[in-house]
Amino acid sequence: MEFRTTLLEDNIAAISGEGRLNMVSAAALREAVGEVITQDRIRVVVDLSGIEFMDSSGLGALIGCLKTARQAGGDLRIAAPSKQVTMVLQLSNLDRVLKSYDSAEVAYRD
Amino acid sequence: MTDTSRTLVLKAPPGDVNTVHSFIQELWDAEPAIGDMDKMAFETALIELASNVIEHTGVGNGVSCVISIKATPTTLSAQLSDTAEVGDIQIVGRGMPDEDAESGRGIALVQMLVDELGYNRVGESNVWSFTRTRVE
Repeated sequence: MEFRTTLLEDNIAAISGEGRLNMVSAAALREAVGEVITQDRIRVVVDLSGIEFMDSSGLGALIGCLKTARQAGGDLRIAAPSKQVTMVLQLSNLDRVLKSYDSAEVAYRD
Repeated sequence: MTDTSRTLVLKAPPGDVNTVHSFIQELWDAEPAIGDMDKMAFETALIELASNVIEHTGVGNGVSCVISIKATPTTLSAQLSDTAEVGDIQIVGRGMPDEDAESGRGIALVQMLVDELGYNRVGESNVWSFTRTRVE
């Protein structure tokens, strides 16, 4: 899977992809987030609207990306998770750690 | 509805978890009455176990794994039999790791999604099996 990066207002980086976030695609997500952090875009939102399925490898990548963003002084939030992604987040008790918003555009409007 | 089952011989590589997703889809296509919650839980559990098997093969010759899945009017069940070395097999009392852990959630997730989870070392194979009682 390829992840696309879009710059939103206020230098927020939105990263999105379509398909499954699993052990096959997790490395590509880490790479995409690492790249925007290197470019000093430390407020990141991962738009999950195109992610139909996520497993614990994908979840681990999101946690790794969150740590990378926070270590750089920024943050990582998620937007528009599917029912299955929401289920995995809740069962893992990570829905409090990875804050979810309705869309990438509103993820930093607080 | 009668029982419906499917079997996949997965060789990884070149196969990977996406091969397993396509395989599960065959069961959903054959049994359209299975509810979304059951499908979501079953697919997540099976993908976690398959990922576990693929991940613990290390480098070398890869892994060969036989995956059988079955739907009955009341249950969804799966069995995975692999040729990997003895892997990460602690399944009793397995909780979620710390919030900032980047791995180690797979088996804990499976336990929450199925009613029975078993592991046996049979000869040179690891055999995993689970059953989920359908809610729909």
